[in-house]
Amino acid sequence: MIPRYQRIMFWILISCILLIGAFLLRGCREAHKRLTALNDATPLAAPITTATEDVTFYMASDADGVIRPVRSEVGLPQDASLKARALLENLLAQYSQPDSAHPLQSGPSVDDVFLSAEDVPAGGKRTIFVNLHGSFADNHPSGIEVEQLTLNSIIGTLHAAFPEFEEVRFMVDGQSRATLAGHASLDHPYALTDTSLSPTTPSEAATLP
Amino acid sequence: MTSKRSSILTAVMLLLILAVVPMQARQGTSTPVPQVQAPGSAPATPRPAPAFYRNLVVLDPAHGGRDSGSQISGTAAEKDITLTLAQKLRPALVAQGFTVVTTRDSDPADELPTEFRAGIANHNRPIACVLLHATGSGAGVHVVYSSLPEAKEKPSTAVLPWERAQVPMIAMSSRLANELGLALENAHIQALLFRASVPPIDNLICPAVAVEVSPLKSDSGKSVPVTDSSYQQRVVDAIAAAVASFRTDNAPAPSQSSAGHAGVSQ
Repeated sequence: MIPRYQRIMFWILISCILLIGAFLLRGCREAHKRLTALNDATPLAAPITTATEDVTFYMASDADGVIRPVRSEVGLPQDASLKARALLENLLAQYSQPDSAHPLQSGPSVDDVFLSAEDVPAGGKRTIFVNLHGSFADNHPSGIEVEQLTLNSIIGTLHAAFPEFEEVRFMVDGQSRATLAGHASLDHPYALTDTSLSPTTPSEAATLP
Repeated sequence: MTSKRSSILTAVMLLLILAVVPMQARQGTSTPVPQVQAPGSAPATPRPAPAFYRNLVVLDPAHGGRDSGSQISGTAAEKDITLTLAQKLRPALVAQGFTVVTTRDSDPADELPTEFRAGIANHNRPIACVLLHATGSGAGVHVVYSSLPEAKEKPSTAVLPWERAQVPMIAMSSRLANELGLALENAHIQALLFRASVPPIDNLICPAVAVEVSPLKSDSGKSVPVTDSSYQQRVVDAIAAAVASFRTDNAPAPSQSSAGHAGVSQ
């Protein structure tokens, strides 16, 4: 016959073992998540010079659907592709700030940016290829307005920094994709233009043929 | 004697028939002459704008099946809200005298391809195609029409490219978007009009808009979610009124009264 106090002690010890096991399991999972996140933080090539450049970011606002140009000074690499990538990383990082008017999740956003060569064939257009990170597209808020604002923000910012280019194509993880997050189409090139436009106000005159 | 005359007549008739038939056949199957186009002349006769039925509207509740769309709240997915909106919009449009075709009436097992949705709309030739969306971001109702550039002249070829099928209809889509914007403002709902490329809007040959319903911000700062039934009804009533007004302005009723599919307009 096992005494009562020993049985109580036994079950208390079993409970402690289970609790410690669950605690360790949770710790392992969180550590794994942290390590996975660190793997994505591919460092950019260090700029040759650290001189800052005057750039224009086209900042989106969800509430009124407006994109406003905002001038800023940022240190950028000399290489054009790296410069374009750093510019977009900087732009999208601003949207992950707590007070952002167009909130996006933080994390890696742009994998690569490729610029087409100067000597394009006749009839061709100078194109910028933006390869977005899969997790950026997967975690992007879903909706026509919010997705189109992100694209217009990128387009306007690239147009301001690289006016000699005519269009931009978007890819996700190196593959073509139908939409950014279920709404805004990514399967065709976008003309690089000034996207700092406000939504149109509905008018009576515009309803008549 | 009679039989001899009748045989001669029969022979003459046969000869006449044999002579006439080849001549007619030759006239009917004249050899085709290749049409050489003079340099500088128009390449082909422009095809007239497609006809549409003035009392027919196509509703496309976006997403469905495995494609849930955006997650509006913990339990509400976009595909369910768009279906609810379509189910509320149908009787409102019928009350305005419209026949309504929807791309889906329930939640299908598989997602509906973009081409399938566009095919339904293009096959029916409605006066308006309304794509219904919902989102948890932004404020008010977003009224979107195609971002394709407007055609300056009629298309020179009879075939419309699939990716640019909406081009001849951009002007009408813009008018429809403005009608919707005005109706929503009259219903005291904030409306934002802008252009975007949202599948399948660029592939439609009817006046087409996407209506994205997002939370309503009241003057007191309170937010009304898109799942709110009375908010949905206000949006639906505004859409029905706008489409009816669009029909009145762009396809007035023919002088001889006709209803439903009989009222074909150009």
